[in-house]
Amino acid sequence: MNTTPPGAADDYVPHLREHRAPVEPVRPVRAVGSAAAPPMRLADEFFYLAHDDQSGRPRLFESATAHGLAAALLAELWWEGRITFVGRHVRVTDPSPPTDWLQHLVLDRLAAEPRHTATRTWLAFFGTTAYEQVATRMWQVGLVQPRQVGRLWRQRIVYVPADMNTAAWSWARLSYQLRNYQRLNAFDVALAGLALHTQLDPILLDGAPQAARAFLRRQVEQAPMPLRELLADLGAVVGGAVLSHRTT
Amino acid sequence: MSHSKPDTVSAVLARGRLGIPSVVFFVIAAAAPLTVVAGGATTGYAVTGVTGIPVSYLVVAAVLALFAVGYVAMSRRIVNAGAFYTYVTRGLGRPAGVGAAMIALLAYNAMQIGLYGGAGAVTAQFLNDRYGWHLTWWACALAVWAIVAALGVARIDLNGRVLAVVLVAECVVALTFDAIMVTHPANGTVSFDTLAPSHVFAAGIGAALVTAITGFVGFEGTVVFSEETKDPRRTIARATYIAVAVTGLLYGLSAWAMSVATGPDHIVEAARTDGTDLIFNLVSPYLSQSVITVARILFITSLFAALLSFHHTVARYLFALGRERVLPAVFGRTSRRTGAPKVGSLAQSGLALSVLAGYALAGADPIVHLFFWITVTGGLGVLILMTITSAAVIGYFARIGHTEGTWRTLIAPGAATIALAGILTATLREFATLLGIAPDSPLRWTFPTAYALVALLGITWALLLRTTHPDVYAAIGLGAHRDTGPLRTPDTAHQPT
Repeated sequence: MNTTPPGAADDYVPHLREHRAPVEPVRPVRAVGSAAAPPMRLADEFFYLAHDDQSGRPRLFESATAHGLAAALLAELWWEGRITFVGRHVRVTDPSPPTDWLQHLVLDRLAAEPRHTATRTWLAFFGTTAYEQVATRMWQVGLVQPRQVGRLWRQRIVYVPADMNTAAWSWARLSYQLRNYQRLNAFDVALAGLALHTQLDPILLDGAPQAARAFLRRQVEQAPMPLRELLADLGAVVGGAVLSHRTT
Repeated sequence: MSHSKPDTVSAVLARGRLGIPSVVFFVIAAAAPLTVVAGGATTGYAVTGVTGIPVSYLVVAAVLALFAVGYVAMSRRIVNAGAFYTYVTRGLGRPAGVGAAMIALLAYNAMQIGLYGGAGAVTAQFLNDRYGWHLTWWACALAVWAIVAALGVARIDLNGRVLAVVLVAECVVALTFDAIMVTHPANGTVSFDTLAPSHVFAAGIGAALVTAITGFVGFEGTVVFSEETKDPRRTIARATYIAVAVTGLLYGLSAWAMSVATGPDHIVEAARTDGTDLIFNLVSPYLSQSVITVARILFITSLFAALLSFHHTVARYLFALGRERVLPAVFGRTSRRTGAPKVGSLAQSGLALSVLAGYALAGADPIVHLFFWITVTGGLGVLILMTITSAAVIGYFARIGHTEGTWRTLIAPGAATIALAGILTATLREFATLLGIAPDSPLRWTFPTAYALVALLGITWALLLRTTHPDVYAAIGLGAHRDTGPLRTPDTAHQPT
């Protein structure tokens, strides 16, 4: 009686065969200064920016990273035309499902709980899960690999970039363009805005003159209105997290 | 039926929110009960020579409870970590708000730096007695300073559970000591002299009252936690009343018990001879030495908890003001890796270091000249702030539409303003008694004048901002809620003009 009924095995086994483990992407071959091969998503880029491109260790304190990723996910949905930001509130404008599973999840949550509209509330809510979710999404497409680090009593998982060049690309691009006062494209304005409002901008402008910093601010201030609304709330949430921090 | 839908968002965000006990522990840690009982009360007796210290604690607790009525009523409407500064801004306008911010910075710095004197002297004495070392107070103060400075930049504070254990232990020790002192009275009779209400009208009461207020500083921090509590409407109010009641009764009881053990006529003399050792010396014949040692260690940990708490308070104040661009924007920067308000923390530590160096070089007494003088000056600053804030509560509720009763919005804050102003007047009149110096010494005016100067500086600065940086001026009092940069115009709907 230990034999599996043939029908059941047929249903199950092909699935096992079809589902392959995520593999490291082929190292993109490109000339210096060219864009990364696959189109990147904002939260993934911000994740890279907030972590060391070699070791995957955080460059930014935990609550700022969490809220920055939450804001990046909301910005992705705004980019896709699903939501917008009016004043201090999020509005769902198109609840049709996005192709990306994480965007889909975030949008469903926004649509399912219409009683909460304050952007700050949603940043706090998604901030509790964004880190793991974005890391998982990046792992699925082979952008990062989880690795256990630390001693016995302080073991934790860091997500090590699969390819250092891909990981460093957003940093290099923003840093270079800002230092040379080149206008950023819309995507990079959003990314730079996230960095600015999580206080991550010093890593972009380390050693750069004050004028580069002012240039960064001006670029972000010229972002579309809904994005500015989101960034203003992000800045307030990160500031609030600094003020209300307690060691647990 | 729509109510049966689960509210996942609220449920997730409610995780890790604070309840009443946590808030009470956080604020009583800053008030540091054992420091007040063993250090503040005894030094108060010694320096001012006033025997009405116990009744002062009770009177001040009553006045602060009255003050808390309007204060927590306002905290329900303004959820902001800025507290005094924000409330004054909303109630009395932005120039007064910036003036209050400057007073707060000076007052909390004074509280914190003064405590180093106590921590240094008490730690040095403890180690020297126990191990026969010859440490100076300033060497110990510098060691404590280094720890506080390091923890400040690393953004580490005392964990709620650690605080709870230490605080409960402190209270148990204080109550045990009280019981022993009351059951072993001088001359065999328990005297209630030092609790007599007649002391309130006696000479030197202003000095005693501000000493008492200094012991409570920290309780006003409850409202800072309003955004992180399970139920801001109830938690904050109850935590505030509990904190005032618990500390008030404990201080009053302990100060009275000491006067029972020495006899009311000898308490001042005994306090002058024994200093901060008084309470330990009074109970040591009846307790095993190990209990006394534990109590002395708890005295030191209570000082340390208060030091760290006020350090973070100052650093966060500087951070909030830096974000609002009221202070240079550099104060609004955080440490990228730890998220600590780095510049504010370093500035506070730097100031403390220079004051400590000054005291060490001048050879001043760490307990009287640093611990007592500077912390009561901090207490004076907080008294000024509470007086102004009380008036601001009335101003705030007068200009908004609300459904609160007149007790919370007018009668209680009004009575508190009058009572606090009365204490303030008495204090200023008796500041020489408070410092234990000659009435014609110019020193008596130095400390109060410092507050007048910084307040004036703040008001002037606010008026300058109004003409030169109207956008910065408009955002004053918004704290971390300030919308960063010119991304959008700030929400000024609830701001006074």
